[in-house]
Amino acid sequence: MKSMELRVKVNGQARKWTITPGDLLLDVLRREGFFGVKRGCEKGECGACTVLVNGRAVNSCLMFAAKLEGCEVLTIEGLAENGQLHPLQAAFLDHGAAQCGFCTPGMILAAKALLDRNPHPSEDEVREAIAGVLCRCTGYRKPVDAVLAVAGVPEEVA
Amino acid sequence: MFEQVEAFHRPASVREAVRLLVSRKGKARIVAGGTDLVVEGDPNVRALIDITHSGLNYIRARNGAVEIGAATTMAELRESRVIRALVGGVLARAAATCGSVQIQAAATIGGNVAHGSPAADLVTPLVMLDAALVLADAKGRRKMALADYLASRGTKALRQSIVVAVVVPGVKGRRCGWSFQKLGRTALDISLVNVAAGVALDRAGRVEWARIALGSVAPTVIRAGSVEASLRGRKFDRSVIADAEAAVTQSVHPIGDVRAPAEYRRAMSGVLTRRALEECAAQAGCGL
Repeated sequence: MKSMELRVKVNGQARKWTITPGDLLLDVLRREGFFGVKRGCEKGECGACTVLVNGRAVNSCLMFAAKLEGCEVLTIEGLAENGQLHPLQAAFLDHGAAQCGFCTPGMILAAKALLDRNPHPSEDEVREAIAGVLCRCTGYRKPVDAVLAVAGVPEEVA
Repeated sequence: MFEQVEAFHRPASVREAVRLLVSRKGKARIVAGGTDLVVEGDPNVRALIDITHSGLNYIRARNGAVEIGAATTMAELRESRVIRALVGGVLARAAATCGSVQIQAAATIGGNVAHGSPAADLVTPLVMLDAALVLADAKGRRKMALADYLASRGTKALRQSIVVAVVVPGVKGRRCGWSFQKLGRTALDISLVNVAAGVALDRAGRVEWARIALGSVAPTVIRAGSVEASLRGRKFDRSVIADAEAAVTQSVHPIGDVRAPAEYRRAMSGVLTRRALEECAAQAGCGL
């Protein structure tokens, strides 16, 4: 098996990893200990493997790792700073927006990508941004409320 | 899944990408976003040629036409001012329906065209717009109508070429209206049927020309040419639209599959055509 070197920045830290040319980003990240990147459907349907690459949410299961030379990757592990949860993480906790938790990293990262570009989105924009992450436990009301709370948008009265 | 892949190339130019493709004699695949190629999981691929660093990421307006580099992503298309302002924004709208935000961040216009799915959402409006492709091979670059490309996609010559750009020609017409309509099971799903339409009206509100393209109802995206011709010269009103709906429903012969039976696709081809023409009328300032 041929191997190659990959230089990427993951959660702010420069990394140099040995990969194979056909490695997918999902497999490389989990091999390197980033277990917040979840293995779900492996065909870009469920969004559990979502990470940010240069600020955009992508399905790491569909992305060749070798493509990422020189890129910046953000996983859920990189969100909290100095032991302080990111506001989205805190809001998901406050709103009870996680149940089994499997979709939560992808949901939060997809929401972060949205808020970084559009700090005050409408509810429809939030729903579209997280539509590529499937939740099979709680549904979407609580995650949507959590994201809107961070965006400073008044919650809809249920 | 891709353990057998021996090399991942990131050529900095199209010329280098072509050289690699030719030298690998059918064992190499071009990859951009990877959203189709990875799912396909071809066990015969030995080399991957990533063309997202080959200077193919651009949107250029020139002499009324717009040229879009093959590595331009769906996200870039839907966000582009040029594309949003072009022909009623139909390409931006189609790009915004290509799967989730995550898919749109990776998937490219070149991939959507070259993968050749009859349900590819961008291809339907591109066929409606008489788009052309710029192809690169060992002999250089050449232009080919998108419709011709779709008809000859599997040939050996085309397997040795790379789609490097999509050219959307300028449109003549005083009062134009445009529409893209998609029907999927959910908002993120692949199209069961999609329709793109464009209409130009003269001063009296008669149809100067009409264009209707249908996706996911034949082996490739098709134009409803006879229906387009039957609209020409008629006053654009509800009865013309009803005739077009009926004619399209009659003319298509879709397959049935796990997603939808043939009869449903056929009926929906007509319904989406009606909705598309109604939107065209509204955009062209035609009261119906």
